[in-house]
Amino acid sequence: MSDMSDPIKSLTELGKKILSSIEDGHFPRIEIPARSTENIVFDEQTEQFILGDSRTTRDSSNSKHIRSFMQLMWIASFSKRLLESGRTSSLRDLYYSSEAFGVRFKDQAESDRLLSDLEALIEYPRESLGFFPEEHSSIYGKVIMRYTVKGYEDKEVDLTISPDGLPIGPALLSASPVRTDAKLILAVESGGMFSRLIETRCWERFDCILVHLGGQAPRSTRRLMRRLHDELHLPVKIFTDGDPWGMHIARVIIAGSANAAHIRDLAIPTAEWIGVNADDIVRYNLPCEDMNNRDLKRLDELSKDSRYLSDDWQSAIESFRRLRKKAEQQAFSRFGIDFVVDEYLPTKIQ
Amino acid sequence: MTGSASGNFRGISPAEFFYRNRQMAGFENPTQSLYTTVRELVENSLDSCEEARVLPTVDVTIQSELGRTCTVSVSDNGTGVPDENVPNAFGKVLYGNKYSSRQRRGTFGLGVTMAVLYGQISTGTPAVIHTKTAQNEGNEYSVYIDIESNSPIVKSSNPLKRKERGTTVHITLNGDLKRSRERVIEYLRLTGISTPHARITLSLDDTERYTFGGFTKKIPSLPVDSLPHPHAADLELIRRLAAKNPDLRLHEFLVGSFQQLGHKTAEKFLNFIRMDPRATIGSLDREALSYLGNSLRKYDKFGKPSATCLSPVGKESFFNAIRKEFNATVIGYSQRGPLEWDGFPYIVEGVLAISDAFEQSDIPHLFRFANRVPLLYDSTDDVFAKTLKRIPWARYKPPEISGVAIFTHFCSIRVPYSAAGKQSITSVSSITSEILSLYRELGRKLKVFSEGKKRALHSRRKLKEFSRLFNLLAKFSSEVAGVDNIPDTSRMINELFEVDSDV
Repeated sequence: MSDMSDPIKSLTELGKKILSSIEDGHFPRIEIPARSTENIVFDEQTEQFILGDSRTTRDSSNSKHIRSFMQLMWIASFSKRLLESGRTSSLRDLYYSSEAFGVRFKDQAESDRLLSDLEALIEYPRESLGFFPEEHSSIYGKVIMRYTVKGYEDKEVDLTISPDGLPIGPALLSASPVRTDAKLILAVESGGMFSRLIETRCWERFDCILVHLGGQAPRSTRRLMRRLHDELHLPVKIFTDGDPWGMHIARVIIAGSANAAHIRDLAIPTAEWIGVNADDIVRYNLPCEDMNNRDLKRLDELSKDSRYLSDDWQSAIESFRRLRKKAEQQAFSRFGIDFVVDEYLPTKIQ
Repeated sequence: MTGSASGNFRGISPAEFFYRNRQMAGFENPTQSLYTTVRELVENSLDSCEEARVLPTVDVTIQSELGRTCTVSVSDNGTGVPDENVPNAFGKVLYGNKYSSRQRRGTFGLGVTMAVLYGQISTGTPAVIHTKTAQNEGNEYSVYIDIESNSPIVKSSNPLKRKERGTTVHITLNGDLKRSRERVIEYLRLTGISTPHARITLSLDDTERYTFGGFTKKIPSLPVDSLPHPHAADLELIRRLAAKNPDLRLHEFLVGSFQQLGHKTAEKFLNFIRMDPRATIGSLDREALSYLGNSLRKYDKFGKPSATCLSPVGKESFFNAIRKEFNATVIGYSQRGPLEWDGFPYIVEGVLAISDAFEQSDIPHLFRFANRVPLLYDSTDDVFAKTLKRIPWARYKPPEISGVAIFTHFCSIRVPYSAAGKQSITSVSSITSEILSLYRELGRKLKVFSEGKKRALHSRRKLKEFSRLFNLLAKFSSEVAGVDNIPDTSRMINELFEVDSDV
């Protein structure tokens, strides 16, 4: 995690630059790395999506730009206030707070988008700017973390402290890992599977840290996993539903998302998807459903996505296409409640 | 028609004519008669001032007594009437020259004498005329008309000093001031529009006083007599002209009698109609004259008539007058012509204006003028009123603009009135199509104006919103920079919007 004083410095610089332009009688302009899909390229080296060279200009003398320019600077001032007072805000809070300042966004999508602009402009992720998404996923396992947030400084927490797992929030995200007995991070898609794995003491059996993704993983969750991966040198395995959506949850953790391509240090290129894939559905004869049109269309899209160009991924897609079936993680329950832990995971994790 | 013009008139039998046709001349009842008397005297005064080349000052006084007896006094600073002309100018019903050769307010030359006659028969009183020319100190006359012989009876004539040159006429008549009050005021108000260099005052029974006109100090150039256009050559005109100089050869006769007919044109024309240019005009028989007249009217290679015989109000004067009288925003001026109808040169001009003073309606309110005289009645028969309804105003006029008026002025050496009351102009197809074009042009100007206004409003709103957003930008940037001072942005914003805010 970068030092929290750095974003404050960057924000102040930005403010000074714009202010001096106004004082000189020039309408300020800023250039922001373009975040359109045309400007997103896959970087083979880091195996993640990054932004290309194209930039968009916001010119404050243009009446079409002035509103979003102003909104951007409001977010910057809001962020600076958060950081200076050690507070955080959810994206939803950000959207609602605007009203009081006469700023007013059309919808939350607009404030989210402008926050992404600010991230790209000053090259700090939103978590460093004090903003956290609402959707909280959870973590559980044998790790000791040390808090850095106000009022909890240097307090340590064992991530097995709650049988429900600990929510991944701003406090945990800014905490530093102290030590661990775990040898593996196992990220699972559904809450049901996460609870099952805690109950069955799977974390002891495989020496793993369990992470509940809750669908497409929030950035903060990806960030925390990346950090544990980097600092504790733990490999990451991802266990999802057996359908194109589950597969893509895994792929985003591994290679990055188009949405956050301007943010570095989110992807975990060495992470591994351990199913459920099409072959698993056949091999374990899992209860399954027919794929609908949306599923098939998604497979088509993914087959053309530059993140899926490798033979392995193409063949994973091809298998789903041939099978035209999908299965959930929970489908293993038909073989008894412990089947996943006793049979499936040992095979996959080895 | 006072002054020098009297030589062009010849007497007719006036009494019978007047009795039979008094409604035609505007003396049908006491209400109408009072209004017509004011009108004839004022127009007479304005014509006289025009000839004197002065800024007209016309003072109108109406005193009503015993109910229906009114005395109308109209005083001007015109040329004054020379002694020898007074009897005939006021005491003999004259018939005007039909072929008037320049724009005048009256057409028949009946005007003032009809009023004198009406006063005489309705109250038994003579007209009293106090006049001074540049050559004398002033005289006062009492004049009757001998109806039988159509000759003036000068009852008295006394030297009476008058300070300034000009004429004051008093006529006592049977009139209804209460009923004609509104129209007299309206008539004078509009006269101030079409003769904006004239200053007109009105005093009613010493209790009400009004001032009209006086909107400009510019005296319009005097329309000059001009030769008739060949397209006006009917048989009577040809015979009259021929009778003046019977010895002229045909070629010289044509060149000397008509405008737009020089030597080259005359040669081509006579060759075309195969008439001998050397034949003397007096030698031609009725048939040949008729053939000549027909040919002149039909030949389509004569030039457009000259406009020097006409006196349009003009854009600037029209605008000034309408702006001041109605507190109006003038939108546009349009002029068609000089053109000719049946050989008579004419110009149509129009102004479109917006004011709260105008009636709110889907179609513009219409103010009509002919030869600088406001037309107040019979609008349903009038070509300008009828044509106005043929324009799809909804296309030009946004609903948020109400109170639109159009002022039209038709000027010609001959106005095709639909009746002798001279209140409406009849439909002549060539004129109608020019009026349509005039209206459309004014309509387009209205449209451009309202769109410009919308744009201006829009850009004012835009400026306000931009300024709000930019000030917020400055404020938030100061906060981010950790600076307490928020820079002033007004100069930058005004510079940025300078072009737009002029709209």
